[in-house]
Amino acid sequence: MPEVLEAEGIVVRFGGLVAVNNVSLRVQSGQILGLIGPNGAGKTTLFNALTGYAPLHKGRVSLLRRDVSRLAPYARIRRGMGRTFQIERPFEELTVLENVLVPAFLNTSNRREAEALAWQSLEKVGLADRARQPSADLNLARRRRLELAKALAVKPQILFLDEVMAGLNPPALKEMVTFVRGLSSEGLAIVMVEHIMRVIIELAEHVIVLAFGEKIAEGSPEEVTSDPTVIEAYLGGSDD
Amino acid sequence: MSKFTGLAIFLAVGILFPLLLPGYLSLAITLLLFASWASAWDVLGGWAGQSSLGHAAFVGLGAYTIALSATRFDLAPWWAVLIGMGLAAALAWAWGSLTFGLRGPYFTLSTIAVAEILRLIAINERWLTGGAQGIFIFSLREPFGLDLFDRQTQYYLALAYTVIVIRIIIGFAKGKFGYQMRAVREDEASAQAAGINPTRVKLQAFMISGALTALGGAIYGVFLSFLEPHDIFFLPLSVQIALTAIIGGRGTIWGPTIGAVLLVFSAELFRNIFAQANLLIYGVLILVVILFMPRGLMGQLEHRIIRRRYARSTRS
Repeated sequence: MPEVLEAEGIVVRFGGLVAVNNVSLRVQSGQILGLIGPNGAGKTTLFNALTGYAPLHKGRVSLLRRDVSRLAPYARIRRGMGRTFQIERPFEELTVLENVLVPAFLNTSNRREAEALAWQSLEKVGLADRARQPSADLNLARRRRLELAKALAVKPQILFLDEVMAGLNPPALKEMVTFVRGLSSEGLAIVMVEHIMRVIIELAEHVIVLAFGEKIAEGSPEEVTSDPTVIEAYLGGSDD
Repeated sequence: MSKFTGLAIFLAVGILFPLLLPGYLSLAITLLLFASWASAWDVLGGWAGQSSLGHAAFVGLGAYTIALSATRFDLAPWWAVLIGMGLAAALAWAWGSLTFGLRGPYFTLSTIAVAEILRLIAINERWLTGGAQGIFIFSLREPFGLDLFDRQTQYYLALAYTVIVIRIIIGFAKGKFGYQMRAVREDEASAQAAGINPTRVKLQAFMISGALTALGGAIYGVFLSFLEPHDIFFLPLSVQIALTAIIGGRGTIWGPTIGAVLLVFSAELFRNIFAQANLLIYGVLILVVILFMPRGLMGQLEHRIIRRRYARSTRS
């Protein structure tokens, strides 16, 4: 399996606070990597460091064997990353279709081609019937799917999903799990930050557990969930 | 209906106007200049979402370039126009590079300083600009035998200018650049996730906006034929350009033009009818539009059309 993402010794500091300390990880195409940990463990910060949204203090991020550590987020996106945001960020004044058109224009300057690509993305996430709706009017589950459609429209090699399951009702959650599994079976590498343990166990092949910015455990979902340090981190240090 | 239908109608009315109402040429020139300046402002302020209160700097740059080229360097006006636009784009690039790290109101505040700096230069560098006394354009070469001091010629130049600006905006409105700008305006982090370099898009928008404003500044310079730093690098001029676009509807193709029609006509009308009270009424009008139509006239209309169209499509 070709390596899509490789991160070595990632350190992120905010002033005196070490938010992520010396974390390394690899993801291959078709693989789902789960990042879990109690609140404030540094999951989203690590995620942001990988995608370029948080400054790297130390360490290296390679995408498809090329060093992207110094690149701005947009440049990493152009080289094959796609990401969603934990708090969905649609372009509120645009319709659903136009929202997806924006990333689709990354692959072509031709309006017709971009539109075809945007439709494809919308159909994939099941939002095609909402295409003409102002995106500000979408409900939570659909906003999530719009985030996904936007991330897919850049045609990424690796997809970063930041808590796409949070807050979804059981049927929507089930749909999303099936959908993410489908993406990975198409060969997309996926890194997902998730709070819901059950989802991670169901989806991820490999799990990294963070606590206070450090990697405290790593392995298959079964391995990490039976690891005493993980149980302690969750029961002892968590407030949720 | 083609996307150019509106522009074709506008052009036709514009060509016929001097034949129908020859007495209102000066007013019409003012209107066209404000329509185009507001449209040019809107490329940066509406489409890319970076409100400037310094666009008088570009007006002044265009006007002073043509005045100085004619009086000091004996350069043909068409070269002067190109140089003015080039200088404006360069100024926009330099200013944007320095300030696009600033967000929201801070960028806007910094733009006030641009016009102010140029005003001070125009006042103090007397050897070049004639200083506070101003500069008088007394002769211009005649391209194709056109007398540029003739009001009718100026009117058609202003009309051509407006058509060019709106044509450019129609050109990008539904294309890649238009959506890149709107994405940057809505959410820069999200725009980056779509592979867009926000700084680059904002710089491009600023340069286009500045260069187009300077083009109108050149026409304005000839129209006035007498330039004074205090008048032309004037904060109220910057504010009026911005207000015209905001009231008409930011980020829409015809909004700024509609805004210009409304503001220029109502200013004229109120001055004639209400004399002293005209500014008060003008102010109230602006307040009403901003309070009840925060997207501006065309913005509100467009928004409503999108919603209604979607509602209708779900009913069937």
